[in-house]
Amino acid sequence: MLQVLLTGLATGAIYGLVAMGFAVVFYVTRVINFATGQLLMVAIMITAGLSTLHWPAFASIPVGLLASAVGGVLIYFIAVRPVLRFDRLSFAWLVSTLGVAIILESGAALIWGTSSLSFPQLLNGNDVKFLGSALTWQQITTIMLAIAVTAGFEVFRTKTLFGKLGMAISADPDIASAMGANVTSYAVLAFALGGLLAGVAGVLVGPISFANPYLGDTYGIYGFVALMIGGIERPAASMGGGLVLGILSTIASTYINPLASDWFPFVVVIAVLLLTPNGVFMSGGALKRSLSRAVRSSTGAAPRPTL
Amino acid sequence: MSAELLAQPKAAGARRALWLATLAVYVLCTLELAHGSSYHQGLLLVAASFAILALSLDLVAGATGLYSLGHAGLFAIGAYGTTILQADHGWSVFWALPVVVVAVGLVGIVIGALSLRVSGLYFAITTLIFTIIVNVLLSNLSITGGYQGLPSPTFPSFPHALAHLGTALVWAVSGCLLVTVTVIWSIRSSALYPVLLAIRDSEPFASSAGVRTAATRVLVFGLSAALAGLAGWTFSFLGFITPGQFNSTASINILVMVILGGMNTRLGPICGAVFVSLFPVVISINPLWQEILFGAIFVFVIVFVPEGFVGVVARAGRRIGRLLADRRVDLQSSPERAAAAQTRPFEIDRTLTDPPPSPVEMAPSASSTVPALEARGISFSYTGEVQVLHKVDLVVSPATIHGLIGPNGSGKSTLVNLLSGQLSCQEGTISVKGQRVEHLRAWQRAELGLMRTFQTAVMVQELTAQDNVSIGLFSQFRRIGSRSLAWPMIPSARRDSRKMAVASAEALRHLGLDRSWARARVADIPHGVQQLTQLAAACVSHPSILILDEPLAGLSAGEVDEVATILRELKASGVTIIVVEHQTRFIFDVCDKVTVLAAGELIKTGSAVEVRGDDRVREVYLGQ
Repeated sequence: MLQVLLTGLATGAIYGLVAMGFAVVFYVTRVINFATGQLLMVAIMITAGLSTLHWPAFASIPVGLLASAVGGVLIYFIAVRPVLRFDRLSFAWLVSTLGVAIILESGAALIWGTSSLSFPQLLNGNDVKFLGSALTWQQITTIMLAIAVTAGFEVFRTKTLFGKLGMAISADPDIASAMGANVTSYAVLAFALGGLLAGVAGVLVGPISFANPYLGDTYGIYGFVALMIGGIERPAASMGGGLVLGILSTIASTYINPLASDWFPFVVVIAVLLLTPNGVFMSGGALKRSLSRAVRSSTGAAPRPTL
Repeated sequence: MSAELLAQPKAAGARRALWLATLAVYVLCTLELAHGSSYHQGLLLVAASFAILALSLDLVAGATGLYSLGHAGLFAIGAYGTTILQADHGWSVFWALPVVVVAVGLVGIVIGALSLRVSGLYFAITTLIFTIIVNVLLSNLSITGGYQGLPSPTFPSFPHALAHLGTALVWAVSGCLLVTVTVIWSIRSSALYPVLLAIRDSEPFASSAGVRTAATRVLVFGLSAALAGLAGWTFSFLGFITPGQFNSTASINILVMVILGGMNTRLGPICGAVFVSLFPVVISINPLWQEILFGAIFVFVIVFVPEGFVGVVARAGRRIGRLLADRRVDLQSSPERAAAAQTRPFEIDRTLTDPPPSPVEMAPSASSTVPALEARGISFSYTGEVQVLHKVDLVVSPATIHGLIGPNGSGKSTLVNLLSGQLSCQEGTISVKGQRVEHLRAWQRAELGLMRTFQTAVMVQELTAQDNVSIGLFSQFRRIGSRSLAWPMIPSARRDSRKMAVASAEALRHLGLDRSWARARVADIPHGVQQLTQLAAACVSHPSILILDEPLAGLSAGEVDEVATILRELKASGVTIIVVEHQTRFIFDVCDKVTVLAAGELIKTGSAVEVRGDDRVREVYLGQ
């Protein structure tokens, strides 16, 4: 049971990182970047591609991560900024970011072919025994990193002036910009950070998944489902959604049947959406906030993370 | 107006001839294709199938504002349902058709009901998840053949006697497209169409006009889903079906078809569907490059032509039309009239207008004892913490004008929203002509003859003022929804359309707006005219009670006088009016009684003189 829980946490941390990649972007710009999964794939493919050219892992991985962060920024300038300029509230970005996702996926398939490449093994394979269950160092690193990223992000968001300004932009970019916030640079930063988080998830999962152009689709959907479970409005909540999703799908594939992890997450997400349309980690805060918005009362304290 | 009415049958005759000719050409094209090569048949039938799907999506996305990404899932259920019923259960494909359409329609009603809980982006995401779930099921179930998919069922050929008609499948798909186009275009020309746009753009406006907005949205989604099921039925005969054809990208693909062609236009979805489904075949390159090209089209279309091909053409057409119209005005026209419009645009031509018919409910001797509207002990709070209204009473006698004044934040608009049913109160009773209404929805209160306007006029920008006014007539005509499916073919519906047009034009004219305003799109008319249009929409159904929330906002002094005259006329014809206003000169001038609110408390109700003389009123409101 502990083994299932820990494996689930490690898987869930990956989903959670991708979900945070979605959520960070949404948090600042109200845009869901549907190419987030493909940015994960970009990091994996570039790292793997450089490895086949005999680059060492410590050089190829930073280049891969950089590529996904830059990719995020490019998506902002090519597919998001132009459509936000004429209507901030329409979902036109939904179509354009998905267009970019298709381009990235097919482009990668053109460059590297559709079969899987090997990925540097990193810390995979070194088992650690822990209370009768075994985890690889890779999995342990994943869990630790996910916790560190989430905690770091929350501290940064709520404790620094820079982060608080981000909250203000998230609430109302027009007013924030009137107060002197540079909304564009925050958006660029959010897209870079979103790409980076997806890239980190990619590097962490690469040794198990190997490198394939179509990985983006799979992890993009799981990350998106994690986002739905946790709640779209807050990055830390989406990490929670990822962990829940990881644990539940590991339980499903262990105790129901090995293929159950394909459909079980969706059962969870239906249940979540029917019970709390805004996600499990969000419902309380969102309810209170939508009420207070209705009254148009003064904004009051920013919602605290429930995690 | 009467000349126009006489001219109408002639124009209608010409229009009918045009439609029949178009239909004949369509049938001939179908016949030609039914004898064509199987390559061309395959190509065009896929395009037709997607055209049905894109039209169904446009009905919800364009006209109702529900951006559904669930249509690929609905499409899949239609296609897989047909195939499975035929292959595994031996059903005739013709029996499968109604079953599939109804079943997918019911699924659509369930999804549509979700739209009542989640709106906007969340609705798009929820429906996207629906598509993902359908896709996961299709890929994992054995009955659907997993990732390999299923071979298509065989479509029966014509019996020998009809063999000269060619391929039966072509006729079937062509017939389905014709049915879809007929239904969608009928709705677009029906009295339901402005109502759908009102639900999309301004739900309070629609519900205060007596529209059951929630039910309408759900049923329209159900209809759209049924059509998506129909598209699935036709698609199932066109080759192997695999889960990959119905994934989340496919859902966006359908949306791209609609956007590319032109959202919320008659021809747009068809053009988009034909382009997107034929394009890859016509250029035939490496499939990966094809995918990249597709992705690039997604980005290009949304960034550069968000209004689509037909939208661009229509805008150009409108601009040319406006240029021509300007010329015409210059030729015939009247600079002095334009100058007059500056100063007194709302001059009422009283020689032309008949006095509005008095409401039937007006039996002064009997009803004078029963208040037209009575609210007792109204308390309301948005959050449970701050009390917005506290035990407020408001009693309005029939055929009087009752003013409601108070400082900002005193709860006037909230009280009005409670009276009209936009909000429901936590405590207290509301009666209309002695009938308790506090448990009734806004549309039910509208059916009782209670109409209202809003502080900020939010109407459908892309419709003309006259069409916006006709929304106010919704509760006066029966079965608009069901008749809308074949509106232009039903004589009674055509008659109702004409009646609505006449009544709306009349209502606008009664408020002093001439025909050029009636024909202008709301987006193009100034604020004051919008306010009066809103007033016309509330008056057009001859309500017995009229609630006006700051009707004078943005009007000039001359216009204010006109509104005062109009309100007195309405009162004389037996309408009870409640008016929220800040202009005390206007209020004390026209109102029989005035109620003063401050901080959610009732301060004073009385005649203008009493209220003006009251010390507390001076203290809290007049500031003297």
